[in-house]
Amino acid sequence: MKTRDALAATLGCGLALALLPWLLSDFVLALVLSCLMYAALAVSWSMFCGPTNYLSLATSAFFGIGAYVTAWGLESMPYLAAVFAGGLTAALFAALVGAAVLHLRGAYFAVITFGLGELVLHAITHFEKTYAHTVGRVISDPPGGEAIYLTVLVVTLAAVATAILVRASRLGLALAGIGADEERAQTLGVDTRRAKIAAFTLSAFFAGALGAAMAVRWTYIEPLSVFSPFIGFQTVLIAMVGGAHTLIGPIVSSIFFSLLTEFLRLRFPYVFLLVLGALLIALVLYLPGGLASLFTRWRRIRV
Amino acid sequence: MGFWLELAASGLITGGIYAVVALGLNLQYGLMRIMNISHGEFLMLGAYLTWLAHTTLQVNPLLFMPAVALAMFVLGIVVYRLCFQRIARTAPSVEVIEARSLLVGFGLMFLVQNLVYLQWGADLRGYSFLTETVEISGARFPANRLAVFGFAVAASLALLAFLRWTLFGKAVRAMMQSPTGAQLVGIDTAVLHPVVFGAGLALAGVAGGLLSMVYEISPSMGEPYTISALIVITLGGLGSAIGSLVGAFILGLVEAFGMHFTSPSLKMLLSYGVLVAVLLARPRGLFAR
Repeated sequence: MKTRDALAATLGCGLALALLPWLLSDFVLALVLSCLMYAALAVSWSMFCGPTNYLSLATSAFFGIGAYVTAWGLESMPYLAAVFAGGLTAALFAALVGAAVLHLRGAYFAVITFGLGELVLHAITHFEKTYAHTVGRVISDPPGGEAIYLTVLVVTLAAVATAILVRASRLGLALAGIGADEERAQTLGVDTRRAKIAAFTLSAFFAGALGAAMAVRWTYIEPLSVFSPFIGFQTVLIAMVGGAHTLIGPIVSSIFFSLLTEFLRLRFPYVFLLVLGALLIALVLYLPGGLASLFTRWRRIRV
Repeated sequence: MGFWLELAASGLITGGIYAVVALGLNLQYGLMRIMNISHGEFLMLGAYLTWLAHTTLQVNPLLFMPAVALAMFVLGIVVYRLCFQRIARTAPSVEVIEARSLLVGFGLMFLVQNLVYLQWGADLRGYSFLTETVEISGARFPANRLAVFGFAVAASLALLAFLRWTLFGKAVRAMMQSPTGAQLVGIDTAVLHPVVFGAGLALAGVAGGLLSMVYEISPSMGEPYTISALIVITLGGLGSAIGSLVGAFILGLVEAFGMHFTSPSLKMLLSYGVLVAVLLARPRGLFAR
């Protein structure tokens, strides 16, 4: 699909989705909201990790940082400003960390990004205990349901649009080059370090903004819930299952997984995670290219 | 004097456990670039096996360790056959093996942890074993910790000796240095891979059994040990068994003294601080040449 068509399709879907708060019940709207959140997380994750083949587990760190920006700032600034500030803070954090750790590859990178979430979690827990003498924070004056929904929708659309633009840009080509062979890309004159930091920062911005936007849904914020590694795993899982190198794959699988989570997780928490684990293993072993590879395979057979 | 000795000893005891866990993880990684992130879950499984044997059959936990090792070894071969063999065969490059095995590891983590949750629930379990204290030059230690320390160090040294002086150990070391080179000189990788993977899980299971003698156990106990083991093998260098041993004691001591001088809630921060510092300064491990 051409870039312009893809952007137009995104805008069209966005306009249709924007009408939903006045058409659907609260329960269904909450479901759509969780689909949107995971779609945006998975799309922003694949923005960096899809083409480069880096495995980042830092999503929960960025998400949690965003949520804490809201928790600390909502009293002194409007909701939308908090969402933006959450994204910026997470992006800044990602740029700093990225400059330090993006020369690592493979398992080292995965481990250290996983560690980031834990690191920030423990740092914030310690900070809150010693200086604020609290464990969690109550959000006293949350905005209305429609405002949250529309904000998350805008962030999601922005993430999808950015992903489309990045794919068509020089940055996107540089990232694909890094994924194919980093040294070759370097030899051909790509500033791989800058490209990686830029993409990592960009993807962190959306994760942070989503954390900031979703934080108000919980009313009570504590480090263990907003830095839950589950958010990071779920994001990686959705993106990989959908096919991280495509755009539509993560979106489709985020709908599937949000519904699955919503229906199973609360009723059978252990069985749900057990099934999730088995599913992940089976998919990696038998469908390593993700659901999107099924589609391309099918198309190839028809042609 | 007694106090400092106790502090150092507690660091070394933790280090001993870390050594056993990290040696197992390092064997698996060094051999096939399988970053088994579910290593700690198998440690937890070993702890539950020991607890079960002690509370239902009144078996002495120390004597039960070989049985745990054997059970986990067999389980390891099964897990390897079911999951990792296909990855190692079908993946086009080492990097892809690494990424896919990491994901499979996460899957296994969910699977094993939630199976245990379903079976035994989220409660803390424990039993008391050798709880009388022993006094050594003014410092007092619970006997079970000393036993655990002794067993952990003995197991680690035995493994090192095995790798150093037997033909099988030599084959394992050859594969750690170069998987393809080892195949070229006639080392049977089809046998060695599952056996070494199983040995890695056996070590994790033993570490878990040892832990169950000292601490209370729960289904979520494994993850922190996975992370500590990752830090240790990063400290010591991937594929270096002696490095893991030294790295484990360094991390144990850093944690013990660091927690004493700052606060116990900063334990994770300290470990990560060490990890980040090492990765930035010497990405290939402290002892890399």
